[in-house]
Amino acid sequence: MVKAIEVQNFSYKYPDGTIALNGITLDVEYGQRLALIGPNGAGKSTLLLAITGFVRGTGRVVIDGMEITNGNLKKVRSSIGCCLENPEDQLFMPTLFDDVAFGPLNMGLNSEQVRERVTLALTEVGLAGMAERAPHHLSAGQKRAAAIATVLSMSPKIITLDEPDGSLDPRNRDNLVKLLVGLSQTLVIATCNMDFAAAVSDKAVVIDGGRVVAAGPAKQIMSDSKLMTSHGLEVPRKFINGYSAA
Amino acid sequence: MHHAYIDKFAYQDSPIHRLDARVKFIITVVFTAVVISLPRTSVSILFCYAVGPFVVLVMGGIPLRFVLKHILYVSPFVLVLALTGPWYDRTAATVVFGPWIWHTTVGWMRCWSILGKFVVTMLALIALSSTTRFANLLAGLQRLGVPRLLVIQMGFLYRYIFLLIDSAHHILRARAARSAGGVAFGRGVKFAAAMVGSLFVRSIDTAEHINSAMQARGFDGNWRTINRLQVRVVDSVFVAIAVSFVLGLYFFVKPVLG
Repeated sequence: MVKAIEVQNFSYKYPDGTIALNGITLDVEYGQRLALIGPNGAGKSTLLLAITGFVRGTGRVVIDGMEITNGNLKKVRSSIGCCLENPEDQLFMPTLFDDVAFGPLNMGLNSEQVRERVTLALTEVGLAGMAERAPHHLSAGQKRAAAIATVLSMSPKIITLDEPDGSLDPRNRDNLVKLLVGLSQTLVIATCNMDFAAAVSDKAVVIDGGRVVAAGPAKQIMSDSKLMTSHGLEVPRKFINGYSAA
Repeated sequence: MHHAYIDKFAYQDSPIHRLDARVKFIITVVFTAVVISLPRTSVSILFCYAVGPFVVLVMGGIPLRFVLKHILYVSPFVLVLALTGPWYDRTAATVVFGPWIWHTTVGWMRCWSILGKFVVTMLALIALSSTTRFANLLAGLQRLGVPRLLVIQMGFLYRYIFLLIDSAHHILRARAARSAGGVAFGRGVKFAAAMVGSLFVRSIDTAEHINSAMQARGFDGNWRTINRLQVRVVDSVFVAIAVSFVLGLYFFVKPVLG
């Protein structure tokens, strides 16, 4: 059966020889929300880049049934959208409308279809009516939501998000959790925030030193305090016995 | 965010703000060309020309203080040019303005002419930039046939100048926090060079990330946009009034030279 993402024995070295990813093997089912967790420098962001075809190493990366090759990158990227760590890099057009329309226009859709997709995507992320705003006039939370809208407008089957909760206050983080949990797409979320990971994911993969050290249901992985602390992580409050959120 | 002053008033709503960007751009270019082409003896007439952009600024709700501040920012460059006039041309001349008569030199007249034209054209440019969203201006330029590559570059410049300014502010603040009262000139220069280097490296980094973001969204080298501009009746009325104003002044108001 075809999986949303299959990574088999994937390795990648930086140009200076440092091993970033070392024999990574993992798979993600359609509709799953996978949290890639690990300490700083573990290789989470590099793995996301590999999944989206920006980093090419040895091994296989298969997205939506298509193995990434030089010849099919455009086709692969119509199935998988990526949200970069810094939304400022994602929002490069003068207005929100132009930014969200950028992908659909490149897909060859006509003006009416593009307008429809922009409206839908902005409404889905809670930014309806802000299409004419310039990105630099948005708050940090709005920029994050807008960055997700730029990907949603392309209707990909899979979305990768690199540290999407970075620099968000608790309210904006809660809004983001609600938004991500409400999406029907397959999500791969790299994060160092265990509470956030626990709130959005149903599967977790722990990466350390460029290797997968554990993979399984989010609750099972993240409530294992020995595993978590041995890799510089912590058990999310949600999975601590006796803890109840206010 | 310390850079809000750049397009502080462009997001207001007024009859002038609602005009089509192309119309405002063309009128501004024509107006500027006419003002620049006026003879140096027409200093007094420049006051009449200033009425046009002044009315636009008032209707657009742009504060005069904001306008004057921006004119002052740019004025040093023009002042240098204008003040060289009296040195080079000392030919005597007489200026008559209503009942008043002045004895001066052609050099001084040139100086006042340059300054007057500068102020009037700046009023027009500030009126354009303060009442038009940059995105609309870019879209307008594209529809007017300005090379696409140039429009894209201006779009990126506008989008990322704010981030660059923010980064520079952060670096300056970090320096101020550790400078303990003052920094010697030599170290200041060294710091400035390091800051420029740092901003340059960050810019390259940002450019690479943007490139990834564009490729991830299917960019293949062709820049596609949707035209959302529309010329309406009110734009035509504005053109008619503006053209009548400029042509009327150009052909019917002549300078008086003694």
